[in-house]
Amino acid sequence: MKYVAIIRQVPDGESKIKVEGGQVDLSGTTMILDQMDEYAVEEIIRLKEQHDGEAVVVAFGPERTEEAMRTALAMGADRGVLITAAGYVDPITQAAALAKVLAEEAPDVVFTGGQQADWDSQALGAATAEALGWPVITWTTAFELEDGKAKATHDLDEGAEVVRVELPAVFTAQQGLNEPRYPTLPGIMKAKKKEIKKIDAAELGVGGSKVEIVEQRIMELERKGKVIDGTKEPAAAAAELVKLLHEEAKVL
Amino acid sequence: MVLVVLDHDGSKLRKSALEGVTRGRKLAEVLGGDVVGLLIGPGADAVAEEAKDYVSKVYTVTGADFETYTAEKWAKAAQAAAAAAGAKAVVAPASRTGRSWTPRLAYKLDAALLEDTLDSWAEGDKVFATKYSFLNRVLEKQAAGLPAVISVKPNTTPLAEPAGAGTVEPLSVELGELERKVEVLEKIVESGGKVSLTEADVVVTGGRGMGSAEAFGMIEEFADLLGGAVGATRAVIDAGWRPYSEQIGQTGKTVQPTIYFALALSGAVQHQAGMNKSKVVVAVNKDPDAPIFKESDYGVVGDIHQVLPAMIEEVKKLKSA
Repeated sequence: MKYVAIIRQVPDGESKIKVEGGQVDLSGTTMILDQMDEYAVEEIIRLKEQHDGEAVVVAFGPERTEEAMRTALAMGADRGVLITAAGYVDPITQAAALAKVLAEEAPDVVFTGGQQADWDSQALGAATAEALGWPVITWTTAFELEDGKAKATHDLDEGAEVVRVELPAVFTAQQGLNEPRYPTLPGIMKAKKKEIKKIDAAELGVGGSKVEIVEQRIMELERKGKVIDGTKEPAAAAAELVKLLHEEAKVL
Repeated sequence: MVLVVLDHDGSKLRKSALEGVTRGRKLAEVLGGDVVGLLIGPGADAVAEEAKDYVSKVYTVTGADFETYTAEKWAKAAQAAAAAAGAKAVVAPASRTGRSWTPRLAYKLDAALLEDTLDSWAEGDKVFATKYSFLNRVLEKQAAGLPAVISVKPNTTPLAEPAGAGTVEPLSVELGELERKVEVLEKIVESGGKVSLTEADVVVTGGRGMGSAEAFGMIEEFADLLGGAVGATRAVIDAGWRPYSEQIGQTGKTVQPTIYFALALSGAVQHQAGMNKSKVVVAVNKDPDAPIFKESDYGVVGDIHQVLPAMIEEVKKLKSA
């Protein structure tokens, strides 16, 4: 069987981001494999270890995405396919390009992160599934292969459910699915020699972005920061807090 | 024409449905035509009686095939309603399920997807929206052509008022092979959650400093008292004290309540990403240097096991006053 993880390279959440000329400028920002995609990569490596087959990472993004792809290869994925494109391309358009590569790869199972840490989008997995005519299961917390189908547990708006899914299918990953492994030193060394095939997005005949980012600005946190010392008289501090919430903030 | 997909619980419309109607009306003012609604799944026929006061026509999609949710079926139903209505724009809630079927719909309609939007409007034949990005740290304005599928972030939009009686039209939707590939085996009901976390006006989140799963009894009591929902940090989920469904943060849920209580948690970026758009943030932590105090409007430095019971008593007093 073949397993694919669709990954992205995003800014490290702890790293500062800046805006230049109304657009986010990522130069100087530490870029990492999206933490949500780590669950996806871990899952396809586990599937390969348990059932044999091949674990492939696929991405759509700028050239620098290769770094994140090397991380996934260092974790244990076999090879990568990177569709290169500069600038912002919306997930629906990306899905059309990814679907062309995936149709050729013909995997049984595709995983990707539940939400992207840069565009805060949850659309890529579902849109890619649609482009391929495959089902999608979002926010997966448990996954196993069973008689040529997948059995998965995933979250809904409230509660969760267990589903049986015909393959091929796309699943989006989240915390709880597994514990992503750290790349080992031998893993990192091996990853350097693993194949990454690059395809220019233009060659796939996919149109331009359907969505344009007109302007971006950093949201400043404007918090009052009023702090009451409740170490000696907790009851009095609690009373003052509730009074402030009732009379000043008017939220209680 | 604008189609609004209306979320409901089987007996009444959810708040998010009325937020969607407000957005739909705003778009229709510029794009022209009426605002029509779609109700899918069990109870849709009953809820239609309420919904028809908000839109000129309510499509309902019901029947054995729509007893359980899947992204494929909901996208198919929305596609059918959009075609029946001749909709240029489709508005839907940015709930977890909403965000799993709307990308499918956008792809089917060859439409732009504006996701998890704070506001949206039309100018000429273009649509615009604002949304957060980069883990809620950036506010961005997006533009797209028509058709467009727009999902509405919960708690961002005034609720629509009724506007007179519309009609109800059942819509028959034939499922294809794709829509039969997912079989729901078992429903797992969320523990505790009386109020939907992402729609709650009050969220009370406990961190590792609570010390134990048992200590969350206090958090539950406080949340119940305020009609709110319980949240938890990643550390708490990792410790197994609370279910994943309650996790607030980058790898969990994003909430935007009127008041957010951050109790016995330090305030990591991972957590901030899920709550930093709350209207008022209140923190209690025993460490005066905890980063959460800088991200809060009001804070108490102290032992949660002393401060929280006192807060519960004070709120009870306030309620009975």
